[in-house]
Amino acid sequence: MASRILSQASFNLFKNVSKVSRQASASFSVGPVRNDKIDEELKKVEAPLVTVEPHQSGVTITISGVFFILFQEDISPVTGIPEEHIKNRLIRIFKPARNTMQSGSANTHHWEMEFDTRERWENPLMGWSSSADPLSNLKLSFASEAEAIAHCEKHGWQWYIDQPKTKEPKVKNYGVNFAWNKRTRVSTK
Amino acid sequence: MATGRAAQVVTRQVRPILSVSHNEARSRALALYKAWYRQIPHIVNEIDIPKSTKQCREKLREEFAKHKDVKDVRVIDMLIIKGQMELKETVQKWKQVGHVMNYWKETVNKKPTDFLSKFLEGKD
Repeated sequence: MASRILSQASFNLFKNVSKVSRQASASFSVGPVRNDKIDEELKKVEAPLVTVEPHQSGVTITISGVFFILFQEDISPVTGIPEEHIKNRLIRIFKPARNTMQSGSANTHHWEMEFDTRERWENPLMGWSSSADPLSNLKLSFASEAEAIAHCEKHGWQWYIDQPKTKEPKVKNYGVNFAWNKRTRVSTK
Repeated sequence: MATGRAAQVVTRQVRPILSVSHNEARSRALALYKAWYRQIPHIVNEIDIPKSTKQCREKLREEFAKHKDVKDVRVIDMLIIKGQMELKETVQKWKQVGHVMNYWKETVNKKPTDFLSKFLEGKD
């Protein structure tokens, strides 16, 4: 029981420590997330926003004249995605295909990303198709190619771009067969 | 096929999460480490896990060392917040024995890496 009281006491100590946040003397505090004190302090600095801009070796953060360099924006340590799904996956960035049953090009004016295909199998009883891949059905769409790339980079995924094949429109006009400057007329002259 | 790593970083403005400088983030990380380090004997005493204080401290060090190359201050802050949440969950016993033991991942079968064990497994 004594140990229990002791541990409670030490935890309370820690709690007290964490309450004293962002004071110059209490450099050991962990502090709660973005409390009012932080906001006040940021207002004082007159530059509440931090500019992230490209630098030779990575990204530089500027806060009211103070510089420090980041090497790459990478949020993979905090996303909670297992390491095997960060390091071993290849992402295809592509434009979805047009509906072949219709001539309109709706739903093709954006970019999508999908993960490489992992093992799939058929359920022996019902014949349903199964997979152990948690990312197989993930579908994300982006307004532009660059956005999709930025998203992959931020998560630390390898990616490649599947460029859509562009087709030059053919002239489908019966009249051109009889144009004056095309030697396609066979009857008179 | 251009497999990507051509980071095109665009200038933009972001809000810091907790720390406004790398040193501040560092001191927060150290504070969190110390808080865990001091709490571990009590955790071992309170929660019925088959681990000693020494083993837990080794694990603590390992968990911190996993992120030693993180440079982004905002990511460090987020990791600190998560670490603090984990500490609170452990101390308040919101985590049960299985959740605490999950740090060691003793029940997870390692995936086969060499040719023969992959073959015997029947899949890659």
